[in-house]
Order: sequence, then C-alpha cells, then structure tokens
Amino acid sequence: MVSASGLHDIDLTTKIGSLTLAYPTLMGSGCYGSGEEFAPFVDLAKIGAVVLKSVTRHPRLGNPTPRLVHTPAGMLNAIGLQNPGIEWYLEHDVAKFAGRPCTIVGSVAGFSVDDYAYVCELLGQRSEIAAIELNISCPNVASEGETFACDPRLTGKVVRAAREVTDKTLIVKLSPNVTDIASIAREAQSAGADALAVINTVRGMAIDVETWRPRLGNVTGGLSGPAIRPIAVLAVYEVARAVTIPIIGQGGIETTSDALEFFLAGASAVSIGTANFTDPRVPVRIVEELRAYLAQRNLRSLSSIVGRANVGFANAQQYEGDEG
Amino acid sequence: MSTTASPCGTFDATILDRRELAANVVLIGFDAPALVAVTRPGQYVMAVPPSGEVASTALGIYEAQGTRGSLLFFVVGKRTTELAGLRPGDGLSLTGPLGNGFDLSSNPRDVAIVAGGVGIASVLLPAQALLAAGARVRLFYGARNRELLVERERFEREGCEVILATDDGSAGHRGYITQALERAEPPELILACGPTPMLRAVASVAETLGVRAQLSLEETFACGVGGCWGCVVPLIGTSAQAPNFPPLERGGSDVVYARICKEGPVFWAHELRW
Repeated sequence: MVSASGLHDIDLTTKIGSLTLAYPTLMGSGCYGSGEEFAPFVDLAKIGAVVLKSVTRHPRLGNPTPRLVHTPAGMLNAIGLQNPGIEWYLEHDVAKFAGRPCTIVGSVAGFSVDDYAYVCELLGQRSEIAAIELNISCPNVASEGETFACDPRLTGKVVRAAREVTDKTLIVKLSPNVTDIASIAREAQSAGADALAVINTVRGMAIDVETWRPRLGNVTGGLSGPAIRPIAVLAVYEVARAVTIPIIGQGGIETTSDALEFFLAGASAVSIGTANFTDPRVPVRIVEELRAYLAQRNLRSLSSIVGRANVGFANAQQYEGDEG
Repeated sequence: MSTTASPCGTFDATILDRRELAANVVLIGFDAPALVAVTRPGQYVMAVPPSGEVASTALGIYEAQGTRGSLLFFVVGKRTTELAGLRPGDGLSLTGPLGNGFDLSSNPRDVAIVAGGVGIASVLLPAQALLAAGARVRLFYGARNRELLVERERFEREGCEVILATDDGSAGHRGYITQALERAEPPELILACGPTPMLRAVASVAETLGVRAQLSLEETFACGVGGCWGCVVPLIGTSAQAPNFPPLERGGSDVVYARICKEGPVFWAHELRW
C-alpha cells in the first residue's frame, strides 16, 4: 500500500505531443468557454488543460434558438460555432489567455482545407496557445463541418494542411458518426496528428409533439452526456488498436470510474464537458480519486493502466480478417 | 446593466424550511451565508437535483436575508420534482449567485414590476430594494388562476401596490396582466420577469408608453455560467451587454447573440432583436 502521504508521488502527468500536462484532464471545447467563466467555481490550476471554443476564418453568428434540449441522460446542442472569426479573435481574445493557470489549447473549425490551414497558421504563431485541436467533426453546421471527419481522405488532407503550417501539437477531434472510426484515426495519424480526441457529439434530434416541429432551431444537434459514454468507450477502444499516438477520451464522463473506463480502453487523457454543467468540481474530484485508485493498487503512474482492458475483440480473428 | 462580477461559487447549502404555496408550487428556504451575502436583485442560482442523475436547473433567488435564501419554483419536470422532494436538513448544491440582475442604479422613484407565473420568484428582491430606497412600487402580477397568484399578500405587506390578472378572472382583471399595465398610469421604469410571450408584450407596452423596461429572460440553460453559448438572445451590437464580436464593417454583425446566463438574464427591452 502507498501511504496517504505518498499520494502526491503518484505520477499523473500526461504527454500529448510536445505538451506535458500536469493532470490528465482536459475541458472539452465548446463546453468551457475560454476557461475564465468557470474560474469562480473551480481551481483552474488543478485541471490539465482547457480546450477553447472553436474559432473559424470568418465571424459566425451561430445557430438560431433554441440551441439546447435536455434529453434522457444527456443533452442535445446545436450552437453552430458562434465565434468572432480569427482576425478579431487574435486582436481581442488571445492575449487574455496568457495568464491562465492551466494549459490552453486552441480549437480550429472550418469549411475548407484552406480555412483550416489559414486559421491554424495564424493561431499557431501565438505563444498563448500551447496546442491546437482540429475540430473536423462539428455536427451542427449546415454542410461541410463534419464531412472532414467522415471521410478518411478528407481527414488526411485537412490534417496534412494544418501540419504544414504549424509545429504546435495537433490534436484531431474525431466524429462518432462514421462507419469505421479506426480507418479515419489511422489516416489522421499518418497525416501528422500528434493526438486524437475521441469523440465529438453523436448526431441526434428531438421533436415537440405539441407543435409538430423539431425542438432545436438547427433541427439536428449533437448528443452529449452519459447517454453517449458506451459509444465513446468503444470508439476509444477501436482507435487505440489502430494508432500509436495518444488518445484523449471523451463522451459523458462524470465520475472517476467513468474516466477509468476510458484509460483502460486506451486513452492517455480524458476530456470533460457536459459534467461541468452539473458540477464544476468534477474534474478536480476525478484527479484526487485517480490518485487514490492507483495508490490502492500500488501503482505509481496513470500511464501504467492505459489500454490495460484492451484485449481485442471476442471474434478477433474474424475481425482482423475483415480488416485485411 | 451592472457588469461588476459578484463573488460567486459553488456552495453546499442546507435546507431550512419548505412550504407548498399551491399545488405544485414550492418554496424552499436554505442556509448558505456566503451565497446570500452577495446576492443582488434579479440574480439566480444553478441548483443540482439531489440524485445527480439529471442536469442542474436555473432558479431565481426569491429571498436573501441574513444567512437564509430561498427558491420559489413550479414543479414542471424531473428536475423540479426532485428539488421539491427536499426536506429540512437535506443538503443542496447551489452555484451562484449568477447573472447581472436588475439595474436599479438610476434610483427610479416610480417602478412597475410585472411578474407572470413563476416569474414572481425573481422580483421580491428588487421590490424590497426599491421600497427601501423610498420608491413607489406597483406589482402587476398575472397567473392562470387565483391559486397560482402565490405570495401576493407578501408583496402587499412589503409595501407594494398589487394589481392582479388571471386568465380565468378568478382574481383581478380577466386577461393578461400586460393589458392592466397598458391602462395604468405610466411608471418611470418597468422591470419584468415571466414567460417569453408576456415579456414580448411588456416590451411592446413599454415602447408604446415610452418607458424603459428591463426584462429578465428565461431559456433552457446548460452550464449557466457562460461556457456553452446555448442560451442566447439576439441583441443590438451597440448594447453595453453585447458580447465581444466584430461590427458589420469588420465582417461581423450589428445584431449578435448574447448569453442569457452571462450577459443577462436582464436586458433592456429596446436593445433586444428577438
């Protein structure tokens, strides 16, 4: 047994590309504003990183309302990438990220390969931003937003274009709304991704039976929360078998046990989104409880459990045969 | 509107008392000294239902005195059903106080407060503040029926002139409370909280009367603290409350979506483009 005083000897640092995070907890893009919104409720120095809300080449007003619907064990959202555009963002927002007590990861969304390259190049020049997440999987924009993450060839193109313009750690956020997430993960890795964020929200909708209309202004939305956790755990499990770069697991994590499922499936870090809406203290609690969990098992580092439940598939032979 | 951030946080409150004011209308008092001490009129909290199985919900802070605050709410779904099940001694996690609250800095002398249904929950604190400053306060209070006009005597006791309206005519005017507002002597300022159709009507009456109005808006919230941009309303870009966004000549817009939870929930009626 590691004594209670030894809890702090337990190594929770996590390497994501060239980033070293003090804690394996990221706050999901679009769920956490720019971090400062949550500062009154949680000690930002005790979280690994904040992934900022996505920025695009041009300003975007975002989707009409309603943008949110609560659903069983989760919620649907369709915000529509509301943001001031990269030019305004660089002038008015980025400097404010400098003094934050945790690592700041930028997020870039776009509608063409050129858009991604343009925004990544500009954002990549800023020292306030430690890494860039490529949001190639937003389900809530009119057309192309998610297309990139749904097609291995397009994923490769957009990641290569971003890779060419920045040396910053590149995290590629994948969509669960695909037939074979492993093939897309492999393509992202070979195009130069340093890490993968798995998964973005699951497409969904809700209908008002009184008005006979979709309940979201955007008609469709992205489902998050515990409702999607098993989908996300499987996606991490599959992706972990396909790539060697680190995976940031995300999708409905609310407790330490939830986070552990992702680590055991193959994630090196986890990202927390919707759970912060219920209790902003969740990320700090998970870190404390992870230490205790590892200590109880005489383990000194989190990395020692990553992927330990990943035993392949029950019909592995057939599965691998299908792959070939 | 006031833009000064108040010292908010997440607090473990203890339930002190619970009353059913009408069928499915509940008032719960709680002890949370640090929260109550910094609450301003028109602010709200995010309350986490005890099971932890459903999302938190935004509730206006009804009373805030000494170390005791209270929440007044209608039981309308899973979350409020769980909250209504709380009993004295139970714990409750509250995040807040959140939002800008009403702006009373102009020191108005004659104010009409318009409340519809559960909107009454957010207007006791501004009424008390105005009365304490010596203002005349008229409460225009509408609900579906007499039973749902909860706490009306409380406002009378505080010193408000109370004008009532019900859909069925069981108390006060039969019809909408905004019709009563329209016929009344124009106030210097209007404060309103209630369902969106009522707020739209208040905005229209205010414009007709040439009176400025502050509306406390409601919308489905997710985070409640400005992190997710889910609860928004179109606002003119020149508003002091408009979020950071480029103007039209910089490829932006002269109307932008502002967060009801963060920039609001109180907005000037004439600055909304909804």
